[in-house]
Amino acid sequence: MPNSLGYCGPDDRGLILRHIEESKGGEDLASTLKGFEAAYPFLRLIARSTGKEVFDYAVPEAYWIGNALLDRVETPEFYRFSHHELVGKDPKEVRKLFKTVGGQARPHHTFYVMSTYATSSVADGPNLSDDGRKKVQGLIDNCRISWGEVQDVGKSKLTVRYQPVSVSDGRLTLSDPVVRKVSYNPEVRSFSNVSPGNWVTMHWDYACEVVSPRQVRNITRYTALDIEATNKILKAPPQRR
Amino acid sequence: MCITKVGKVLSTSKGRAEVEFFGANDVGDVDVSVVGGVAEGAFVEVFGDLALSVLSRAEAKRRKAVWEEVRKAAMMPPPRRGAKA
Repeated sequence: MPNSLGYCGPDDRGLILRHIEESKGGEDLASTLKGFEAAYPFLRLIARSTGKEVFDYAVPEAYWIGNALLDRVETPEFYRFSHHELVGKDPKEVRKLFKTVGGQARPHHTFYVMSTYATSSVADGPNLSDDGRKKVQGLIDNCRISWGEVQDVGKSKLTVRYQPVSVSDGRLTLSDPVVRKVSYNPEVRSFSNVSPGNWVTMHWDYACEVVSPRQVRNITRYTALDIEATNKILKAPPQRR
Repeated sequence: MCITKVGKVLSTSKGRAEVEFFGANDVGDVDVSVVGGVAEGAFVEVFGDLALSVLSRAEAKRRKAVWEEVRKAAMMPPPRRGAKA
């Protein structure tokens, strides 16, 4: 269920789900999506920088999964955007982030999640307790878009093999594959023929959609780049963060 | 996706806190166990439902102003590319 935890945007998840089930857009949907304070500005940035419409499939695909549009967003434009259009980001943190990673900063959802952790005081502080580390890991892993191979299809759950994010020795990595169960909505067209061997993307405890081999290659590539950039921030002395 | 929020701790209990977020009439239940030592009146930066930073009063004041400014700007159309300020 989109935004079921209420962390992401307007409390209009029923409407969004209805549109997803029917694979149909509309003005009411566009208006709801514009209320997503972090996601929508990113889509606007990618669209503006690449001459696309905001809800052209390639634009949200770039933001959530990753595609070549991300490489066409120029760093100064992303920097300006982070200062002037992104709700909640502190200009001081933004300056430090761009100073450390420069052009490796991409308007990719996973980078937003990982860099938020990397510029926080938790990342600067003393070693986390095991419990604290698990919570941080869980937050990053659930909030980023992950992907995995379907092993089994249940009535409302998919069994998926995927690589979780791990936080150890002050660095992020993808761990060895594990198997987890995630909810999915069989009414959504993308899942109508889902079967073992398909690949899906996941956000929190939900499977988002079945993805193509091209999309799996993209999300793998851009997530690796995000991890590399985030580790640079984590490696920088605290005063530079 | 999660957004970063900043707010003031209204009360705490067993590693969780009620936080009043800046720029919105919104009070949330937040896990503050990772940042530790958070008391009533402290300022925290929250991602999802987890506090990731404790802010000083001065920093919080600055962030509050930023938050309000950005929110105000978010209500306006974005500047055109290449447009003069």
